Amino acid sequence: MFGNKLQVNLYRYNPEEDKFPYMKKYVIEKPKRDIMILDLLHLLKEEDQSISYRRSCREGVCGSDGMNINGKNGLACITPISSVVKRNKIELRPLPGLPVIRDLVVDMTEFYAQYEKIKPFLQNETTAPEQERLQSPEERDKLDGLYECILCACCSTSCPSFWWNPDKFVGPAALLQAYRFLADSRDLKTEERLEALSDPFSVYRCHGIMNCVNVCPKGLNPNKAIGEIKSMLHKNKKDIIVTDGV
Amino acid sequence: MRGSLIWNSQRYSSLIILCYLVYIASFIISQDEINFFSWSNFFLSFEVRFLTSFIFIMIVVHAYIGLWTVGTDYLTSRTLGFLNKSIAKRAKLMRNTYFFTFGFLGIVYLSSILYIIWL
Repeated sequence: MFGNKLQVNLYRYNPEEDKFPYMKKYVIEKPKRDIMILDLLHLLKEEDQSISYRRSCREGVCGSDGMNINGKNGLACITPISSVVKRNKIELRPLPGLPVIRDLVVDMTEFYAQYEKIKPFLQNETTAPEQERLQSPEERDKLDGLYECILCACCSTSCPSFWWNPDKFVGPAALLQAYRFLADSRDLKTEERLEALSDPFSVYRCHGIMNCVNVCPKGLNPNKAIGEIKSMLHKNKKDIIVTDGV
Repeated sequence: MRGSLIWNSQRYSSLIILCYLVYIASFIISQDEINFFSWSNFFLSFEVRFLTSFIFIMIVVHAYIGLWTVGTDYLTSRTLGFLNKSIAKRAKLMRNTYFFTFGFLGIVYLSSILYIIWL
């Protein structure tokens, strides 16, 4: 239909000017080589300076440019156009479920609040050794597939449970990190960590639909980590009682 | 409420219901001929009545947990706010009405079933 043209439908919203968000159509020359979505956004920004999006490392490490690309969350900087283009069309939207600040920039406050809730740091009150707290290779292996998370929020914002209860359901990204510390042999606050997750919402709102696994740009498996947390909670008899308070 | 208690109740109730269905299916398969007398003799025994009553309690528990999950997902001020802000202000009332309605229907349903089984 477009031949050598590429149609990009871009979500636009500037709260200072627009009453409602809208989709704006850009038609550009199809790049001669396969470029990344982030490069495509740079091309569009040359045409329209008002387009807003986050970016930093442009190599899939910082997690800044998470967005919804043709209906699937991903990092713009490591997603080639060829892998998503359909009939010469690409649709770019902000990460779903979070408030939009402007165009593709979302307010990540709720996402970070959940991350903060799981206390993402080593808790060990014993006297620190002179050099470092040692782990056996087997203990260290348990952290593989957990510590690599870059907090891009692609997983949590593709999770319906997080859309409906972002204030109560911790979400796949933060739960992956929660398990990262639960599985760490150096962390001594396992009981307290589990107690903080034992209400009906924090972990148990995960129904295992695995959207998180499907979209994770780092190939991680938050669903497996959530399953491990549930197993630990079942073994841990110290469940706390919370009220509904929706 | 305990998260693991709710989660386990829903999972184990579904497994118990499945076992009951297998039990009923095995009865049907094991009979050369199913007629009114064999069917009523089977269901009128105390063990099957007791088991059926227990299964319907499990069905109500299982269904209510599912409906509670739906209610706490979709009948919140946030989710209803996507539709209409004035509706969102009444989210708690709507949610409690929803819980009460389905709780009441569950009790009526279970009472009716127990009445049919035992009286």
